[in-house]
Formats: sequence, structure tokens, C-alpha cells
Amino acid sequence: MFEQLVDGILWDIALVIFFVGILWRIIDVLRRGTRRDLSVPRNSGVPGAIMANIRGFFPRREIAPRVRMKVIAGYMFHLGLLILLFFAAPHVKFIAEHITGFSWAAMPYWAFIVTAQVAFAGLILLWIHRLLHPVTRLISRRDDHVGAILVFLVMLTGCMALAEISSELRVFHRFTVELLMIYFPFSALMHAIMFVPSRAYSGATFGRRGVNL
Amino acid sequence: MAAENRHNSGRVRKIVLFCVFSLLVVVTVPLIPYAIDAYAVAGKQASVEKVAALENPAINLWNDVRQRNERTQGLTQVQGVDSGVLINKAGEDWRRFRVEQLVPYGAWFMGGILGAIVLYYLLKGTQMMPGGPTGVRIPRTTLNQRTAHWFTAGVFWLLAVTGLILLYGRFVLIPILGSEGFAVTASACKEMHNLFGPLFILAVVAMFVLFIKGNMYNLGDLKWFAKGGGMFGGHVSAGRFNAGEKTWFWLVIMFGSALCVSGLLLVLAALVPGREVLSLAHMFHGISAVLLIAVSFGHIYLGTVGVEGTLDSMTTGSVDAAWAKAHHDQWYAEMMNDSAAVEAADQEQGSGLVEGGVAKPGQAPGV
Repeated sequence: MFEQLVDGILWDIALVIFFVGILWRIIDVLRRGTRRDLSVPRNSGVPGAIMANIRGFFPRREIAPRVRMKVIAGYMFHLGLLILLFFAAPHVKFIAEHITGFSWAAMPYWAFIVTAQVAFAGLILLWIHRLLHPVTRLISRRDDHVGAILVFLVMLTGCMALAEISSELRVFHRFTVELLMIYFPFSALMHAIMFVPSRAYSGATFGRRGVNL
Repeated sequence: MAAENRHNSGRVRKIVLFCVFSLLVVVTVPLIPYAIDAYAVAGKQASVEKVAALENPAINLWNDVRQRNERTQGLTQVQGVDSGVLINKAGEDWRRFRVEQLVPYGAWFMGGILGAIVLYYLLKGTQMMPGGPTGVRIPRTTLNQRTAHWFTAGVFWLLAVTGLILLYGRFVLIPILGSEGFAVTASACKEMHNLFGPLFILAVVAMFVLFIKGNMYNLGDLKWFAKGGGMFGGHVSAGRFNAGEKTWFWLVIMFGSALCVSGLLLVLAALVPGREVLSLAHMFHGISAVLLIAVSFGHIYLGTVGVEGTLDSMTTGSVDAAWAKAHHDQWYAEMMNDSAAVEAADQEQGSGLVEGGVAKPGQAPGV
């Protein structure tokens, strides 16, 4: 019963909410438009937008020593999760069967384990840092914690189902994925998509004023 | 207010008593089959001795196969570790150790420690700060130290829970979940245990690097041990870390390392030569885990409900001056008389944000 629900109607609902929600959030941002800049443009906004996107991947030299742990943990988690999402053998098989119709080379089992460990270490460190650092603790909202816990649960249930000996564990993993898909568009997790336009907007705004971010 | 406190304290005691009772039931019930088993085995033994008195021409061959007298190896064309051994005695020895010693004694040991802690709490209650909190804060741990601590704690408990399910699940969970339910749970726990195990190696290394300073024993620690750490009354002088904290640190490093090495051998079983090594690794793994889990109960107790104000050290990174004076008077005096040390510790906080302000020399009462 629960298996049918998770593999059937709940998956369809989650998929619709995920894509419609993301589209709605993007349209909402675009609809708000930009503030009119009355100053004389010193430069084109395009290089500023591109540079801000590239610069955002590296910490500023002045603060690099203080944010080293956060940057390293951030890369460990985000890259790890991305690799797991697109190159874990069960995911490749699932995407090919349910979405794309074609597949690509999946990573070997040992690589999956190492990547999962790196991603878990990064996520746990980031969450602990969020809770312990006085500034991040102050600016964190419930949404940030819910997002972190949901992603952790998705990864954990995925690893629990690794032996593929029972459908219960697979269904449990898929259920947590569906919860995450439903929660995603309405949360700060949207940064996974919005970080590019957000950086571009700031970079272009400052670029037009002759300031390099 | 006082009546409410008394009411709350009464409630807490009732809850704790209920927990002790539940724990005793949980620890005792799984042991009943052993008692029945032991009785049955004693009866069987007598009849086996009668049969053994008769001469059996094949008995020597069977004794060799079972490796009863010495380790014998047969000849075979199959190449590989232990391929000439028909029945590996090490496997049976390991199984007996696990089922007859590790499982029951481990449960008694962990339950005993937990029971002693609960009893101590019921008798003594929370150790309050003398004179109450002053509001003057002294930086005690850096952000990196706290991050390493909670990372280690999180990974340790994930491994402890999954490990205990694998060790005791057969006796505790099968009656609740059934065989199939336990098989699924055990599979999930095994995957989690193997996945998070290597993260514990990182955690132990980080703990060693970040906490080694100040954790070396000195002669003053003998006094601390002699007075039982002040647990039964009287004041015991201590520096930044007292002898109890130092012992916990070295237990984590030593037994943590034993867990890491033995765990790696068990995960990479295909690369390990011989079953004896694996049996030994499992033995070390089980004993180290049970010891560390049991002692961690004490660590958690003292860090939370046992001693008022201790948890602040690992949440905000600073402690109240009254707490420092009561439990680490030498370190307190050091911090009060050395403004450079206070500032350095404050700087180490990373952002320099210490909740409640930072103590400056002469600010704390009673200096």
C-alpha cells in the first residue's frame, strides 16, 4: 500500500510541485524586475555579472583564513551531493528508466562510498558550524535547519538502502526524496538554482557603477 | 517558585526511576535464554561424557577436522588463505566469545555504569555553581574545538546505535520486529556503520590535534584521583583540564584508535590474511566500543545534568567565572591574572563574539 503510494501518486505529485514550484519562484523573481539605476553607467553590466559568478566560487583573500573550514566543507558537501545525484549507479538507472530514456557511465561502488563519506562529512560540518558560530546561529531560520535535516535524511536513507536487499529501504529513500522535492521550491534550498542569477544581478549592478565584486 | 522546583525535581526523579526500572528489564530479559541454555547444556554434557567413553575409530580424524588438539592443515589444489582447513576453529571461537561473553558482559557493564550514574544523580542531584552564575564569561573552547567535538559526538553515536543494534538486535529487536523486520534493520545499520566508520577516523585525528594541548598528565592529577575528583565532597584543585577530563581524552584517543584500526580490518576483510586476524579485530572492536559507550554515559552526564554550567563550554565556547573557579581554579587564576591569555582565547573564538562578555583581570568576584 505504502509502496504503491510512494512509487505512484506521491511521486507524480512531488514531481509536479517540484517543477511548477521552481518555475513559479523564478517567474516571481523576474516579475519583481530591477530597481532603476539613475546613475550614468561606467561600464557594461555583463562582465560584472560573469565575474561575480566566477569570484563567488572563491573566498576573498582578506577573510579566507577565517572561512577556510566553511569553504572546504561547502565544496565537500555540494560537489559530493552533485556527483552522487548524477553518477551513483542506482540513480543513473532510475533516471534512464523514468526520465531521460538513456543512461551514462555510473561510478564504481568504491567511488560511491568515498563520495558519500565526503558529502556526509561536509554536510555535518556545515550544520554544526551553523549551530555553533554566533553569527550564523543568529541569522539561521527554521527553514535552514529543516532543509539540512531533509537533505541529511535523503542521503542517509539512500545509504541505508545500498545493499538493495529489500524494497522497504528503497521505498523509504524514495519517500524522503519526495518530501525534499515538495519542500525544495518553498525553501532556501532554492539557492541550488538561484545562486547564478543572484550573483549575476549583484555583479551587473555593481559592474555598471564601475565596482568589481 | 521553590515549590515548583521541588515538584519538578520530584517529577524528574520519578522519570529517572522509571528509566532505571525499564533499563533493568531491558538488560535482564535478554539474559533469560542464556540461563535456560546453560541449564540444558549442563544436562547434555553428562550424557556426552558417557558416549565419549566408547572407542570410535574415526575420532582422531574428526578431532583433526575440528582442530581440537592442534591446528592442522590438509592438502588441496585450491590456492588461498585457509583453503586447506576444513572447519576453521577460529570462527567457532569467535562466535562463542561474541555470544557467551561480549553480548551478556557488555550489556551488564553498560547497564551497570548507567545504573550507577542514575543512582549518583538521585543521591546527589545536579552540582550547582557555588553562589550562582556571576555573568562574567571566560573563553574556554575555540570554534574549531567545538566543531570537532560535536562532529565526533554525532558520528560516534550514529556508530554506537547502529553497532548496538547489530550486537543486541537479535535478542532485543527480533521479538519486536520479527526476523524479516530485523533483517532489513540490520542491513540498513550495517551499511550506515560501514559508511560512517571512516569519518570517525577523521574525528579522532581532529580531537587529538585540537585537544592534546593541556591534556598531558602531571603530578597534581594524582591528588585529583586520590580525592575522587571531588565527586564525594571537598574541593579538588585543577588546571584547564582536570584528571578526569584528561582520562576521557586519552580513552577516546586510545580506544577510538583501536576502533578505527579494527574497523578498517573488518571492512577490508578481503585483504586480511586469515580468519584469526578478523576474529581478533572483532574482539578488539567490540570491547573498545562497549568500554567507550559506557564511559561516554559518564561524560554526557557530567557535561549536561551532572554539573551546572559545563555544557556552555561546548555550546557558546565560554564558561561562567563561578564555574571556572569551582572546577578549574588554577586555570581560573591563570586567566584572571593574564590579560594576554584572555585576549588570545577571545581571539581564538574566531569572531570574537563571546556571549555575556569576556572576563578581564580583576573583574571576577573573589579574585
